[in-house]
Amino acid sequence: MTNQTFGYYGQEPDGRGEYLTLAFSPLSAPLRSRWRNNGLSADFLGDYVTTFLPADGSTASAEGGQKEIKHAVTYIANELLENAMKYHEHSIDIPIGIHMDLTGTHITVSATNGISDGQAQRYQNFVQDILREDAGELLVRQLEESALGGGSTKSCLGLLTIINDYGARLGWRFDSHPPYQQIMTVTTSAVLSLSGLAGVSA
Amino acid sequence: MKTIKGELFEIRLEDDNCTVVFKGALRLSGMEDYASILDLLKSTLARPVKPIVLDLRELDFLNSSGITMFSRFVIDARDQEGISLQFLASEAIHWHARSLKNLQRLMPALIIQLN
Repeated sequence: MTNQTFGYYGQEPDGRGEYLTLAFSPLSAPLRSRWRNNGLSADFLGDYVTTFLPADGSTASAEGGQKEIKHAVTYIANELLENAMKYHEHSIDIPIGIHMDLTGTHITVSATNGISDGQAQRYQNFVQDILREDAGELLVRQLEESALGGGSTKSCLGLLTIINDYGARLGWRFDSHPPYQQIMTVTTSAVLSLSGLAGVSA
Repeated sequence: MKTIKGELFEIRLEDDNCTVVFKGALRLSGMEDYASILDLLKSTLARPVKPIVLDLRELDFLNSSGITMFSRFVIDARDQEGISLQFLASEAIHWHARSLKNLQRLMPALIIQLN
C-alpha cells in the first residue's frame, strides 16, 4: 500500500512549540502487564500540559479550564495509546509511540504503531466512515451495535468519543515501512483547539 | 453488600440491591475485563423495588471500554419494562457532562443528576 493521509492531519502543529514523545518497545513486556503503563503515560501527558497552560488563579473558571484541558489530554492520550497497544502488529520490532505537541493555539496528541496491510485497509475503511458520517450519530449506532454483542467496535468508540465528546479533529497517516514486507505504520492524531477554554492561555 | 476492587477503583453494590457506587479510575482493557462489573450492574435489574441509582460522583476516569459497559447496561435497562434508572454525576469531573449524555440518547428516560 502507498503512503496516505486522511482527515485533519499535518495541519497542526507548526513545529515551533513544546513537544514530548514517549516510545515503547512492544517486545519488552506482554500486553497485559504493559496495560498499566497506558494510564500512567496518559496521566503524565495530562499533568505535563498544565505546566504550559497555567491558570492565573484569579478565577474559578480559569482553574476549571485548566482542569478541563488536562482531562481532555489524559482521555485522548489514553484512548490513542490503548488502541496502539491493542492493534500493534506484535511480530515486528517497531516502537509504539505517543507524541504531544503544544503550540499557542493547539494541542496535538498522536500515537503510532505498526499494522499489517490487511489491518491498514480495514482501518482506512473505518476512517472513511468517520469522515463521511456525523460522529454523534455513528457513536450512538456503535453503542447500540456493541450492546448486541459486537466486540470489534472498541477502537471505533474511542475515536468517536474523542471527536464527539471532546471536539478534537482527527487525522491519520499510513506509511509503508521498508524493512518489513506488508507492514505499515499508522499515526492517529487528535488536535484540540485551546480557544474557548476560559482562563487558559499557552 | 457486594464489592469489586481493583488497583485503581472500587465498586460497591449496596444492600438495597438498587444502588451501585463507583470510585476511582476505570481503565480495564476490554469487555472481558469489564464482565464482572457488568454482571453486578445487571443484578440490579432483577426485581428492583425502587429506582436503580448509579453513583458516579467519585468516578474520576472512565475509558471507552467502560463507556461500552455502561451503554450495554443502559440498553438492558431500557429494554426491560418498568425500570427507572438514575446516574448521579459531578460537574467537577469533566467527563461526566461530556460523555453521559450519549447514554441518554440510548435511553431518553435515563435521569442524569449533575451536581
